Amino acid sequence: MVAITPNEPQDLNLLDDETFRTHVRRWIEANYPPDLRNPPKRLHWEENKPWYFMLAEKGWLCPGWPRQFGGLGLSPAKQIIFTEEIERHGCARTNDHGIVMVGPLLINHGTAEQQEYFLPKILSGEHIWCQGYSEPNAGSDLAALRTEAVLDGDHYVVNGQKIWTTLASDANWCFLLVRTDKAAKKQEGISFLLVDMATPGITVKPIINLEYHDEFCEVFFDNVRVPAKNLVGTPNRGWDMAKALLSFERIYLGSPRLSAYAFARLRQLAERMGVWEDAAFQETYGRLRLDLEDLKSLYGVFVEKLRRGETLGPDVSMLKIFQTELFQRITDTMLEIAGENAGLLEPMEGNRNLNPTGLYIQARPATIYGGSNEIQRNILSKNVLGLPG
Amino acid sequence: MSQAADDRTESIRMIRDSAGAVAPRGGDTKRVRALRFQAPGFDRAVFHEMGELGWIGLAVPEEAGGSGLGMAEAVALAEEIGGGLAPEPLIPAMLSARLLAAAEDTALAQTLLAGQRVVLTAWQERPDTLEAHGTDDAPRVFVPMAGGADTFLLPVREADRIALLALPAAGADVTLEKTMDGGHVGTLRPSLAVAERVADDVGALLDLALDEAALTTSGAMLGLMERAFDLTLGYLRTRQQFGRIIGTFQSLQHRAADLKIHLALTRAAVEAAAAALDAGATGAARRAAVSKAKHRAAESGMLVLRQCIQLHGGIGYTDEYDVGLYLRRGMVIANQYGSATLHRRRFMALAPEDVE
Repeated sequence: MVAITPNEPQDLNLLDDETFRTHVRRWIEANYPPDLRNPPKRLHWEENKPWYFMLAEKGWLCPGWPRQFGGLGLSPAKQIIFTEEIERHGCARTNDHGIVMVGPLLINHGTAEQQEYFLPKILSGEHIWCQGYSEPNAGSDLAALRTEAVLDGDHYVVNGQKIWTTLASDANWCFLLVRTDKAAKKQEGISFLLVDMATPGITVKPIINLEYHDEFCEVFFDNVRVPAKNLVGTPNRGWDMAKALLSFERIYLGSPRLSAYAFARLRQLAERMGVWEDAAFQETYGRLRLDLEDLKSLYGVFVEKLRRGETLGPDVSMLKIFQTELFQRITDTMLEIAGENAGLLEPMEGNRNLNPTGLYIQARPATIYGGSNEIQRNILSKNVLGLPG
Repeated sequence: MSQAADDRTESIRMIRDSAGAVAPRGGDTKRVRALRFQAPGFDRAVFHEMGELGWIGLAVPEEAGGSGLGMAEAVALAEEIGGGLAPEPLIPAMLSARLLAAAEDTALAQTLLAGQRVVLTAWQERPDTLEAHGTDDAPRVFVPMAGGADTFLLPVREADRIALLALPAAGADVTLEKTMDGGHVGTLRPSLAVAERVADDVGALLDLALDEAALTTSGAMLGLMERAFDLTLGYLRTRQQFGRIIGTFQSLQHRAADLKIHLALTRAAVEAAAAALDAGATGAARRAAVSKAKHRAAESGMLVLRQCIQLHGGIGYTDEYDVGLYLRRGMVIANQYGSATLHRRRFMALAPEDVE
């Protein structure tokens, strides 16, 4: 793998917001592979890597990382614009766990040696990361995880199983939450380990989901020996670090982009099915439209906080709940108007924009992943509304 | 934050604080209850105070004797006053004040702005509309608190313009109907013979002012939602059944979480609309922003208010307990200046979709 020298030397924070937006938009429009716009499924590394390398060469792979680590060092306001433009164009998500999780983790908690070794390999695409969090008996109750790491000399020996590990089959490294103290309270015995997926004892098994896609995997650890120097931060403090990293996920999952995408397809479908003018449909459509518009307003409230440099509180769970359930309601409506097409395996007439069943299935896990909506409601009721435990 | 934004936040905070004079946070409902189903159903001294605090002319330009503030302030004020269940017809008076800013003779405007005279605009000829048809002496319906008016303003269509007439309430043909919250609405059968012309054309201004009233009413609904929900959370934290605090039951926790989302959506929609108007939105964009807010306030407002009754159980169904006051006021204002359906249809007709 050749080291990449990015060709965006100037500090983009110096541009005013509109100039910056135009700059980003023009470059995406000129460079993004047209056939990868709005992909119907999460793309594998082999499919999304041209875009990953394009971003890397431009120096735009890690907009939020400080410049001394090879990022763009964008201000929160500029990062928001950057993300908006990526979403607006329908750019595929890359294998981005290294960028959004491992980078910030190591920049905040890693040793200089870890930073020097790992960060450049994310920037070059040499290391593709996956996230080893959930386990068969630790999903919503993540802190109950049992995958264990026992110190043996200068190595940890890892045994256990992870599940729902996104794109683990693409990854050559894994950041792993492991139990390092079984005696402590469950949140206080967890550590972060960085694991080379080529280490003997690791088995990856893809799970075929309801989309007939193999996005998620099971990962088995059988006496896997991990150098002790690959532990991040303080032993047994991994839970706090993991929680801090999730704030990114919660705003990301609340972005209106999925609902907006599905909503635009709902109209196309209604026109194709001849119900567009139908009064009952228009009633439903109007309600969904206003739900989407008000979601955008609420999302704007949280984005404005980020722009001001504030950290988001637990109330950001509101966005995740409303967005994902709106996405589902839109696709429910699609099925309702699609007639017998509501049972088709493939998009109607080979047209990717007339894909009610595909979107319906895709909308299912949205209320489950990233902390199920039931867990999000628990968070709201306890941490925002102050209802008793 | 910029200096301008800081100043704005400060001015909104001051408005909220000043609202405490009439509707203190954490205050009781004694005053509100005492005025229910009495004539005129509100306290003229409090109305006067609202004038002295500059609220009636909040959105009227300073050169016309108003406070020259924006919709962000008007909405914040309505939230406090509405949440405090004040029965005084502040929003209808603000509407009248906006129209009177166009009047040549400023005497009437000044007595209204000072809160000395209750001036209400009888613009509506049918249920659920935002359009003032201005049909001569056709009955004007649903004039809030008409029994307490000193003067009615009457928009009357003349060819391509809408003139504004004023007529004294004394001697006017007004029928009153009680409303759910202890107030009333009136039907005015105007006699044009006793009316006095105060402005030649308020057509465009009336459209703007009715939209502002719709948005301000959304703010009032937001206030009702907030206070009723706070009351409900307090109940969930203390009421015990089956030996447990009922707020520990997950079905109730999750419902409360959902109501909180509706509150947040309503606040986001209302504040975004106020910001759009203050930033100078015009035409379809202005009307669409208002409709988006009023739709959300009416729809989510009624959802939250009726769920607050349910979460209280039997005590929520008693007149003695306060939560019912919020629902009853909500029923009165949800459809004022346009129902959720009216605003949803208007939004859909006005707002172009982003095409992806």
